[in-house]
Amino acid sequence: MDINVRQRAQVQLIQLRGQLRLGPPVDELRQTVEDAIANGDNRFVINLADVPMIDSSGIGLLVRFLASTKQRGGSLKLTQPSKFAVQTLRLVGVLNLFEVFDDDDEAVKSFA
Amino acid sequence: MLAERGEPEDSAFSEMLDFSMPANAEAIARVVDAIAETLTRLSIPEQKRLEVQLAVQEALANAVVHGCENDPSKQVRCQMKSDPIGRILIAVTDPGPGFSPNLLSDPKQGGTLYCDHGRGVYLIRQLMDKVHFTDRGNEIRMWKY
Repeated sequence: MDINVRQRAQVQLIQLRGQLRLGPPVDELRQTVEDAIANGDNRFVINLADVPMIDSSGIGLLVRFLASTKQRGGSLKLTQPSKFAVQTLRLVGVLNLFEVFDDDDEAVKSFA
Repeated sequence: MLAERGEPEDSAFSEMLDFSMPANAEAIARVVDAIAETLTRLSIPEQKRLEVQLAVQEALANAVVHGCENDPSKQVRCQMKSDPIGRILIAVTDPGPGFSPNLLSDPKQGGTLYCDHGRGVYLIRQLMDKVHFTDRGNEIRMWKY
């Protein structure tokens, strides 16, 4: 999985490409977000446009970081999730936990 | 040929793939990707392919993490069969002691929504048309019609 991180207006914008599933993809995203949280960041936008599939370990990671960022006064928001990613998040009942946006700018602005 | 309950008998299915893989995440990815390629070659529609692909991912993850305790010296077997009208049967077997799937809690209950685990078997049941665990609980057979 490719993970590209940019900072925009004190928001960590993370672009993922590939399947978010058990093993290196989930491990690398976990490390990326944990490092950012350790640096004091608590506002994240994750772009899922190029993530065709998220497995249960990926879902677990997203909800865990949603909870930990909220506890620190921030949040983790999703943008452009693929149709199947939305279906999967809805199937397990967590879609409504997240704020979901159509584009990154809108998600970044929502933190203001 | 249909069984009494209107479900296809296993004899109607012919073997497409049969993998024995070490119990690690990289092997899961290789097997899932091989199954996805085979489903594409069989002209299975994208939505059905993604649903089977995710169900296999979850079944293999359970076998590796729980059945083999992430020990790559242990082997997981994954078989895929299909019939002439595109119905798919997947079987995943691990050497572990098995478990009781009926004892799993509902991941959609409010108190567990933020848990970082416990959704795999639930997802499989939602994505596939029929799911059966052997009595010992170390083999899952799942059908997509």
